[in-house]
Amino acid sequence: MDRNQLNKWLKTPAKMGHKYSLHAVYFCTGCGIIEVPPSITARWDAERFGVLPVATPRQANLFLITGYVSVKTLRAIIRTYEQMPEPKFTVGFGSCPINGGMYWDSYNTIKHLDKYIPVDGWIAGCMPRPEAIFVAVTHLWTLIDKDMADGYKRYRKNYQAYRENQERALGKLEWPPLFSIGGKG
Amino acid sequence: MQIIAMILSPILALIIGIFFLGLSRKMMARIHWRYGPPWTQPIIDIIRLFSQKSVTHGHLFNLGLILSLAGSIVVILFIPVGRIHPLSDSGGMLVILYMLLLAPLGLALSGGEAANPNTSIGISRQLILALGYEVPLLLILLALMTHYETISIVEIVFRQQYAGWALLSSPLVLSGIGYISIMPAILGIRPFEVVQAPQEISSGPMVEYGGPYLALATIQHALNLFIGIALFVNLFLGGAGNPLFFFIKMLVVFVLGIFINAALPRLRIEQAVQYLWRWPTLLALVGLIVVIVMKSVSAG
Amino acid sequence: MSLELLLAAAFGGSLLTYLLGKISSGLRDGFAVFVSVILVAMIAGLYGKIGAVTSYYHFMGLELTLRISPLSWFFAMAVSTLGALSVIFSLSYMRDRERTDFYYLMMLLINASMLGIVFSGDLVSFFIFWEMMSWSTFLLISYNRGSALAAGMKYIVFSIIGSMAMLIGMLSLYAVYQTVNIYMLSNLVSSASPGYLLFLLIVFGTAFAIKNAIMPLHTWLPDAYAEAPSPFTAVLSGMLTRMGVYGFLMIMYVIIGSVQTLNMGYGLLKFNYILAWLGAVTIVIPTFIAMLQNDAKKLLAWHGIGQGGYMVLGIAYGTNLGLAGGIFHTLNHAIYIVLLFMSVAAVQYRTGGERDLNSMGGLIKKMPIAFIGALFGISGLIGLPLTNGFVSKWLIYKTLILNGSPFLAFTALIGTWGTILSVYKFLHNLFLGQLPEKYKDIKKSPVNMQIPIVILSLTILLFGILPGLPLKVINSIIASFGFKSLNVTLWGIVSETGSLNTINLFAAILTGCVIIWLILKTGPKSVSASQENTYAAGASIPEGKYHYTVDFYNPFYRMIKPYLKDFMDIFYFKLAGWTQTLCNIVRKTYTGYVGHYVTYIVLFLAVLIFMQLKWSLW
Repeated sequence: MDRNQLNKWLKTPAKMGHKYSLHAVYFCTGCGIIEVPPSITARWDAERFGVLPVATPRQANLFLITGYVSVKTLRAIIRTYEQMPEPKFTVGFGSCPINGGMYWDSYNTIKHLDKYIPVDGWIAGCMPRPEAIFVAVTHLWTLIDKDMADGYKRYRKNYQAYRENQERALGKLEWPPLFSIGGKG
Repeated sequence: MQIIAMILSPILALIIGIFFLGLSRKMMARIHWRYGPPWTQPIIDIIRLFSQKSVTHGHLFNLGLILSLAGSIVVILFIPVGRIHPLSDSGGMLVILYMLLLAPLGLALSGGEAANPNTSIGISRQLILALGYEVPLLLILLALMTHYETISIVEIVFRQQYAGWALLSSPLVLSGIGYISIMPAILGIRPFEVVQAPQEISSGPMVEYGGPYLALATIQHALNLFIGIALFVNLFLGGAGNPLFFFIKMLVVFVLGIFINAALPRLRIEQAVQYLWRWPTLLALVGLIVVIVMKSVSAG
Repeated sequence: MSLELLLAAAFGGSLLTYLLGKISSGLRDGFAVFVSVILVAMIAGLYGKIGAVTSYYHFMGLELTLRISPLSWFFAMAVSTLGALSVIFSLSYMRDRERTDFYYLMMLLINASMLGIVFSGDLVSFFIFWEMMSWSTFLLISYNRGSALAAGMKYIVFSIIGSMAMLIGMLSLYAVYQTVNIYMLSNLVSSASPGYLLFLLIVFGTAFAIKNAIMPLHTWLPDAYAEAPSPFTAVLSGMLTRMGVYGFLMIMYVIIGSVQTLNMGYGLLKFNYILAWLGAVTIVIPTFIAMLQNDAKKLLAWHGIGQGGYMVLGIAYGTNLGLAGGIFHTLNHAIYIVLLFMSVAAVQYRTGGERDLNSMGGLIKKMPIAFIGALFGISGLIGLPLTNGFVSKWLIYKTLILNGSPFLAFTALIGTWGTILSVYKFLHNLFLGQLPEKYKDIKKSPVNMQIPIVILSLTILLFGILPGLPLKVINSIIASFGFKSLNVTLWGIVSETGSLNTINLFAAILTGCVIIWLILKTGPKSVSASQENTYAAGASIPEGKYHYTVDFYNPFYRMIKPYLKDFMDIFYFKLAGWTQTLCNIVRKTYTGYVGHYVTYIVLFLAVLIFMQLKWSLW
């Protein structure tokens, strides 16, 4: 862990800050949330990695999509994601956000989450154990280090496509577009 | 000299306050049998927040937060830290009492503009809680000011340095116990953590703060911790001759506070006010009467 | 320029305004503003003539006089300035209403009679001007008809009781000393017996306590403030009610004199001590009742009562600090309460008379100037540092603490914390939070409403940062009462037991704000978000009301509500009911049959004869 290396802090303070202070939205998107309480309390203690659940998306920079995504939840997920300040990182937790998982033929769940919002990393499994969250976090650190956790940039760049996908799934959205949709998407 | 003190004392307060924040997280973790974050974690958080891009809801949203933080800084200029007290001769305790208002009021204005009901609920709780603990606090401060016959906090510290701590002197012991019993409410820690209450109202007045705003709000919280404890150390533990001893006294008080915070659950707001208006107020009232009686006995 | 000319201009101007209104409304508006502004200039010009006495009329052997003392100049200046600002404010508020000529006549007449009160040098002119003020106030309170008629009736009943009490005092003074001149009386009265002085204090005190709405006699005020037209409510709350403070100062420190007043009674049962406690009760209870109000103007009205308590507490406590604080607080209160009522009036003007706090919100985006007025107003009302209210409250607290009255100090301080709760609710429910759909297209307040609001906001800041400006005049007032004057600099008070330095505070806060603002600027630039873009647990904001206003302090309300009824109001209504029942019983004896009347006469004679035989009284 290079958290204690001063020269790295002086060189890239913002990047180091993002790495070691991942505040996650406390948002139960699906059944996977059941793995989050043990991982933040005494048994596994996520706080030693700087991972802390916070109450609102405004204060967060890590979004854990824990479990299957129903159409109704997708609306809240998009809203929450758009309210998080940049830079922000998304991690899909469990098989369901990846490809639908056991709900692969359900009429009411979203099969591929990354069509609607950008996802920086996946934790496969049904359910993944809490340790897998820490593996994901450490992997996210390397991604941030290499500037590869760039989901928020992709969202900005391809916003028109994302918005079209969202509207195809949800119908008309109540909120105005986050970025201006103009000549160039 | 005064200019140096003016720069030094807020910086000292900031360092101590942020250290206390980190220490509280580490100690809470150890009490929970966790390993916990490093004690530098609040600094990492603040750096991260300052590099994030946030939203603003209007000019008052910015201005209220700025005003709140400035209010806290000015209060610190009035509080003697060791022998450093750059502004304390321009108004005394009464100005401190009023400047303490600026912090919650600034946050309230800023949060009000955010148009979020959670914020409004948080602010309404904050103001009710403030009214709750001000009743005993004012009685306690009046007992002190009546006993020492001054409104200057430097004078109160000075008198204690040759007459012994106010907490251990016979007229003021009840007031001191009263102050200890309302201190969690002043610091906003459990069991009086009703204002932020992340699980109920999504951290109350802070709902819409993100990025630099949240960083400033965290700093403001750290300064508030410093002010609450420093006032107690100055008023009842005799202050200190230099900043180091002052820091040690504060540390002892703060660690006791953390134990209370870790051990107790959260009260509801009306339970908090009922508690604050019952036992601490009774203690403070009896304390004030004791001071008046002992004064008139020694005078006549 | 003499005082008769000033008063002639004031009264003549008001009548002329009425007549001009019959010709054209534009001419009337211009002339009303002209008269009220010229009065300010004339009174400012009188500053050098303090001490001048003019006799203007002889009436049945009494010499009626006018004179200028520092006290009267101070009050006259405040009256005329706030009056002028209110007239300017009224221009658009009263446009398109009926009976506008009458409104301006009354407004200027009240202004003129208040000037008459403060300049009158004898009790007869004082009484005449006092009655003119009361009656024209009654007419303006009931201007809106409907429920305003009841409010006006309540006011005038109380006012008459007060006037009658004052009349008794005046007649007795005249019977004993054969003069009504205030200065001659102040020399003569000092040798009177304490019992007589106490009688004088009580009868005059009743009149002034009613006008100043001290606690058991306050019930006329909330209704009157709420029902009067808003620009007039500003005058009513700012200066007219505070004529009571002027009256207290006159009877306690001018006519009877500080030495007698402060030594009246024994031990804790001193007159001034009891009055101070009445003031303290007046601070606490109305301030807490204000928390329960949902009507913007009623909320402010209850604060008007509460702040009056500070003034009475200050002047009744009778130290030089307390007196200076009380008088200064009168001025400060006038400034910020006028400002607050003007802000409410501006909102009312644009929303069509809406006063219900529960149905508004978010107006800061639409009416920024009105918001700034309200913000400065509530800061002054709370007494935040750097506003004028802070300095006067600081003076009062300091004397209460250092002269050994911690419980009085406690009531005064706790009043401040109660104030914060209700005024924040006021500001939040009107201006902050979510803007309702129906006010989407609301416009800014007109320019002539903005000008007084900006002027008063700046005055609050000016007197808060440089309190030496008004305190210099106040110093000469308390010196004329025979107190030691304060050691005042331009930016504070110097004293061995703790001094105040507002310029230091100002510099510190300003520097702090600028530094933090710069730090915020160096961070990444924030994106501006609309009111719909707030956290709602992932949901988008629902249509309709998403603004937490109703029962803003609900958990606290439930605790305190049972204790905070206006018991005095209920009592007065019951008293009125009992009186009516009694009169009904008496009325029933008038049956109309001659036989019954003969029986009464015979019975009465029988009783007389019985009494004579039994006790031989005659």
